[in-house]
Amino acid sequence: MWQHHRYKILFSALLLLSGLVLAVNTGNAKPGNELDWLDVLGEGTTLLVACGWLGLIIGSRPAGRVTEWLYYGSLLLVFSYFLDLLDEFIRYPEHLRLMSWLESLPAPVGMLILTYGLVGWHREQRAINRQLRGRELYLRDHQLIDPLTQLYGMEYLQAVLQREIELHQSQHKSLSMLVLDINNFSGFNRRFGVAAGDVYLSKLSELLSNQLRHSDVVCRYAGDRFIALLPATALPQAHIMVQHLRQQLVQMAANNDEPELTIQAMAVQQGCAKMALQAANQALIQAKATSSLKLQPA
Amino acid sequence: MPVCSFSYQDKVLLLQHGSTELLALAQRRGAQLHKLLNGTSIFEQDLHKPHGRLHHADWLKLLQNCQQQLNSPELPFLLGSTLLNSRYISLCQSVQYAQNLRQALAQLYYFRHQLFPGIYAKVHRQQQKLVIELKPALGLMNQHSFMMTTVCALLISLLKLQPGSLAGVTIRLQQTAPGQLLQHQRYWGCDVSFNQPCDSLNLPLSLLHQQFADADPAKFRNARRTCLQLNRVLKAQRGLLENIYTLQQRALPILLTQQQVADALGISGSSLKRQLSQHQTNFAHLIDQVRRDAARKMLQQGYCSNRQLALKLGYSDEHNFRRAFKRWTGLLPSDFRNLFNFN
Repeated sequence: MWQHHRYKILFSALLLLSGLVLAVNTGNAKPGNELDWLDVLGEGTTLLVACGWLGLIIGSRPAGRVTEWLYYGSLLLVFSYFLDLLDEFIRYPEHLRLMSWLESLPAPVGMLILTYGLVGWHREQRAINRQLRGRELYLRDHQLIDPLTQLYGMEYLQAVLQREIELHQSQHKSLSMLVLDINNFSGFNRRFGVAAGDVYLSKLSELLSNQLRHSDVVCRYAGDRFIALLPATALPQAHIMVQHLRQQLVQMAANNDEPELTIQAMAVQQGCAKMALQAANQALIQAKATSSLKLQPA
Repeated sequence: MPVCSFSYQDKVLLLQHGSTELLALAQRRGAQLHKLLNGTSIFEQDLHKPHGRLHHADWLKLLQNCQQQLNSPELPFLLGSTLLNSRYISLCQSVQYAQNLRQALAQLYYFRHQLFPGIYAKVHRQQQKLVIELKPALGLMNQHSFMMTTVCALLISLLKLQPGSLAGVTIRLQQTAPGQLLQHQRYWGCDVSFNQPCDSLNLPLSLLHQQFADADPAKFRNARRTCLQLNRVLKAQRGLLENIYTLQQRALPILLTQQQVADALGISGSSLKRQLSQHQTNFAHLIDQVRRDAARKMLQQGYCSNRQLALKLGYSDEHNFRRAFKRWTGLLPSDFRNLFNFN
């Protein structure tokens, strides 16, 4: 931010310097016993605070019209307070009114300019808020978040998947996907009630969002099926993550009987989201078939 | 004796037969109870009274609140299966101990006023299939598809439980196809088609007589006794639309006038008209529906000439019937017949 305002800083420094030079030239220093230290302390603090404002404005605001108003308003205040402080140390000749004008006039003008700038800021903020609310409304309107698990739903997944596929293809990166399905979840619901099923789902989704990376997108694809998108992840890495997830799930399921899960990693090579999701379903069906083969007694 | 029918303000629904389950589901999904009950006359402390009741206006409002509060498309599916497994609904308990699907469905049909008085079923056979058509017994406002989905979910959960196979089962829904078909497929796992002329569940006749694995005549009798006891508190009442449909269906070659129906229902003609407009329908539309369903059924069941059909449905001549049929289905009766035989 500071680079944008280089000239402004230079100008302010020059202004204050010229004020100092003018004061020194016109007046004489007060003797030490006439100084009122309480006044000096009060006016010094005011000056420092006003300087702090200037710093904050420069540090946080992008260059623009509103920033200019805010800045020059504060600068006039600073100038006025600066002369005010100087006047504690320097006595001006009685016939010269210039210094007292310079001391008292810039403050109200600066206040007015600052206020105008603040009004501008207020408008700007309102516009930003409106836009933000619009975005939030978009989210709420499409209601992309599943209320139970607080994960994104299928519609969001499809949109994100499409975007990620395009992005990864253009950057020649590999995109992977984890598909996770709860085996016989309706049976679980029937045995323990839908309430227990809901608790299990939210526990599982919490585990998933905790165990995966921040960049991964976990979605509740359907009632008992979750899909996690792993951006910039190759298949071997995804397999490792599956292993890791399986271990975590075993720990989670240790205390009571919970339904079994099928987890399958796959690389997304399809060109569009729809085909990728179909492939995911296929992969899951295959994984289920092989696991049921494995489970059968030899 | 006039046929009695309930309206929106009659408390014919038990809180424990749906509302508590629905509220629990919604609350677990983060909705707040007071917001869910907003606009209804249900009090929080009544929710767990064993025979607490509510009327349809409240029920529909409740459904609407749930959908406004949460975007959870799984709600009707879960509600259906929760109801089937609810310990508080002896009707659902009894159904699970039935001997076979036929007995279970008969039980559900007989005691339907205890579970879903707002929906009635018309059952007929059609080429090795049993067609259960579900119809609203009172105007369901915009909750039609939610209610139908719930009822279908309940039936499908039953079928999945016992006899355990969904082979040959199809569901037809009036609602337009949702953007995501997956929800229906994942929860039901059978063929679902949308934009159909009526809501119906079609199941192969062979399923009907398969012995249920959990069949237990003693438990069934017990649960049925409880249902019968409940009948004393909760009289079997039908909705206005169901009553009119049944009256006209029985009368069929003759078309009933609005006044005749009003007399049969024991209300005045203007009162009937007013009530129908409350249900967002009108008399002519209802009568038309009866004829449409009858025409479709007869065409699908066997060979009837257009002339015979026109006579049976009370049309003055074949030509009028053909025109009406075209209006209902977009097809001529002969095309419809061919379509069906071809399949």
